[in-house]
Amino acid sequence: MNGALAELTDLARALRQRAQALGADEVSVSVSTATHASLRRRDGRTEQSTGATTRGLSVSVLVGDRFTSNSTSDLRPEALEAFLRRCVDAARWLEPDPARRLPEPEVVGRGVSEAHLDSDDPSWATREPVDREAAAEALEQAVAARAGLDRVSIVAAVADGRSASFRTSTNGFEDGSAGTFFSVSGQLVLAEGDKRPTAGADWSARHLTDLPPVERIADEVVERTTWSVGSRPLPSGRYPLLLENRVSARILSMMAAPLSGAALHERRSCLLDRRGTLVASPLLDVVDDPTIPRGSGSRPWDGEGRTARPMPVLRDGVLENWYLSTYHARKLGLPATTGSRSNWVLRPGTRPFAAIAASLPRAVSITSFLGGSANSTTGDFSFGVRGVLLEHGVVTAHLSEMNVTGNLLVMLREVAEIGNDPFTHGAVRTPAMFWPEVQLTGT
Amino acid sequence: MHLRDPFLAFRPFGVDGDLVRRVLGEATRDGCDDADVFFEHSTSTSVGLSDGAVNRAHTSVDLGCGVRVVVGDQVGYAYTEDLSAEALVRCAATARRIARSASPVALATAWQVAPVRDVHPTQRRWGDVDLDVRIPMVRRWEQDAFARDPRVRRAQCSLGDDEQQILVARADGTVAADFRPMTWGTLSVTVEDGPRRETGTYNVAGRADLAYYDEARHRRIVEQAVDRGIRALDAGSPPAGEMPVVLGAGGSGVLLHEAIGHGLEADFNRRNLSIYSTKLGQRIAGPDITVIDSALVPHVRGSLNIDDEGSPTEETVLVRDGVLEGYLHDRISARHYGTRSTGSGRRESFRSPVLPRMRCTWLAPGPVPPEDIVRSVKRGLYAEVLGGGQVRIGAGDFSFFVRQGWLIEDGRLTRPVKDANLTGNGPEVLRTIELVGNDLVVDEGGWTCGKEGQGVPVSQGLPTVLVGRLSVGGGRT
Repeated sequence: MNGALAELTDLARALRQRAQALGADEVSVSVSTATHASLRRRDGRTEQSTGATTRGLSVSVLVGDRFTSNSTSDLRPEALEAFLRRCVDAARWLEPDPARRLPEPEVVGRGVSEAHLDSDDPSWATREPVDREAAAEALEQAVAARAGLDRVSIVAAVADGRSASFRTSTNGFEDGSAGTFFSVSGQLVLAEGDKRPTAGADWSARHLTDLPPVERIADEVVERTTWSVGSRPLPSGRYPLLLENRVSARILSMMAAPLSGAALHERRSCLLDRRGTLVASPLLDVVDDPTIPRGSGSRPWDGEGRTARPMPVLRDGVLENWYLSTYHARKLGLPATTGSRSNWVLRPGTRPFAAIAASLPRAVSITSFLGGSANSTTGDFSFGVRGVLLEHGVVTAHLSEMNVTGNLLVMLREVAEIGNDPFTHGAVRTPAMFWPEVQLTGT
Repeated sequence: MHLRDPFLAFRPFGVDGDLVRRVLGEATRDGCDDADVFFEHSTSTSVGLSDGAVNRAHTSVDLGCGVRVVVGDQVGYAYTEDLSAEALVRCAATARRIARSASPVALATAWQVAPVRDVHPTQRRWGDVDLDVRIPMVRRWEQDAFARDPRVRRAQCSLGDDEQQILVARADGTVAADFRPMTWGTLSVTVEDGPRRETGTYNVAGRADLAYYDEARHRRIVEQAVDRGIRALDAGSPPAGEMPVVLGAGGSGVLLHEAIGHGLEADFNRRNLSIYSTKLGQRIAGPDITVIDSALVPHVRGSLNIDDEGSPTEETVLVRDGVLEGYLHDRISARHYGTRSTGSGRRESFRSPVLPRMRCTWLAPGPVPPEDIVRSVKRGLYAEVLGGGQVRIGAGDFSFFVRQGWLIEDGRLTRPVKDANLTGNGPEVLRTIELVGNDLVVDEGGWTCGKEGQGVPVSQGLPTVLVGRLSVGGGRT
């Protein structure tokens, strides 16, 4: 693997120089290689096993103010020469766009050390196919031990991999990084007349030992599938809504599109002209933090090579920063921040989901989403949902064929409590969140 | 371009028949029921316009090979972008890990090239169309958009193509090669009227060459994008709750895709996971419901000459006159059910194993004029511009998004509405399709279907239909 990346590193440097020789004024070349494998068991035997070592290359080129971005996996020398010529030639056809620049040399480079980020689990190198088989089998057996005889099928899947990348640019940026991932998921299918209620749980982590124990995953798989049995819609109306940490991430994630420089520049953002104003409940304090050790969205620099550092997004409900790449910042006449999200960290509240639930006479909790969409221009959203009805923290009904409808800005404003139990296995590290009144549609 | 000579078919990938036979030999060394190699070379180019300038271009090239080994319904899969002999043989060795003491395989000694019928013949390669031909097209969309309404504040356009050359070689000596062109165009406008701001988007996609963009299509792209944006300025949220829904002809085919299409993909059924698993041969809808999934509609995005296992494609009747007639099969499920593949084995790219997938799904037209369908509704929703959908195969609940529509009051479209998700249960909704219009339209939009993390291009169509009851995710009860 290291040998493969070393070869690609030399190739990236050579291509940067070759693109310049062909007439490019600024060039950024990045290369990556990854090795990954997966194994899925169903009902006592392996259903699918996959494996690959993969590689890719991307080249951004500026000829004067003319910009092209390009990628290829065809690394045969004669193909690469033709590809580079095409990248540079294509630029000549375009109209100039003075906003296109690579970031200034002083804003690029590594923000945190590889050791601090700790994204690369050394144990990955010794992982063998039999380890995946054993892990999947253990989860399958744990689910089987908990599931009733009405089960139709049990699936257990594991995957892992390591990727390494390197970038070299004419603005002086040159660096590489590497990271591992491990994931495990379980699924249970039950029989209910013609229906096959199905649910599951999946987890991922940078380090193998950060994955939850199979017993806990199996408990979750069985509980969630049980909630899918006998499910029905509630009457349409406004209900108290309490979301578990990983589910509330979906609601907060809607904020990403209207915060993006592209949406602001194209005027299709409900957060246009709102920087520096109160857009959310003062309870909401969100920091974009790329420096969290082992964080799934952590990184030493962003997609342009900008040095990674924490950035406030919402401070006590006030919108502090948008996501502005070099290009969109120049288009909008504003200082650049970063063009893409890393990890979102929220200021926690005082109690976890279960304690909030116990304090509520009645609340709906969404367990999964089913389709739907959000309009970043207006903030309006409507999603299909499944869930449970909670009364004093006890599940009293299983819900399906329902929609949750509202507006992002209203949801940000009306959030009434934030839990102290952030979800640490994803980039959006939301705790549980509670709203007193949200529109749900059922019958 | 469809090759009959195996030598020519292998050449774009820098391999020859002997090497491919060696790779298949490696893949089948421990025995198996089926094995194939899938080579792909694709080139994609797009140009984009914003702020009045065609100021970005993107090129991507993808080359690689996937090796699959099948034992019963077990699949071993590996792929590589490195097409050297060593890398391909290593790839085959990874794929065959699944095969443990399976039945021995006799490799064919000669290649047989499968005939391929071309359902989307083209005259000119996109690779031969210079940027100076494409740039005026997007510039025209932008200029016409601004000219159409003074409330248009921003316009973004992009025009792209993807040309894919594939080759499937099987252990039995069959070779099938195909050339798959694709083009897409998108116009998105931001419109403003005082404090109100909205977006309107229209996109088209098809397996076609430059001739796809005739005068009518140019005009439609602009008119639809701008008019959708303008209409959204005045649209509100529909009322919330269950109500009758009239689905306008065209993109509303997403209803079929979610309510029944996925549930009839045979991989779910052979594992007994679909709500339709036990319903083959049974009546599942009214006698005027016939659902078809076809690869043969010329030039639509979901058309396909051969599938990604090299099988010939067809028009598959899924539901005939309300009776469930069949599933969508790949080779694995065809073997399981003792039938032949319907040419539905598809993959996103050489990086992905094959799954049974839809191609272009539609509902056969019925006898009713569309205006009579709207007139029959006292109070309900008319769905006109559709977004994506999703389904739970096992429980059958599904949803799809209505970007724009109208409220129906006393048989008339009264006020525009927008942004509502609709949910229902597939088998129940099929039973409550009350009226089927005579105006089938196959949508020209760039639909992509997702399954197990793989996206494949699809199309869908629907005549105007009345669904008795769906839950509308509106603003107020």
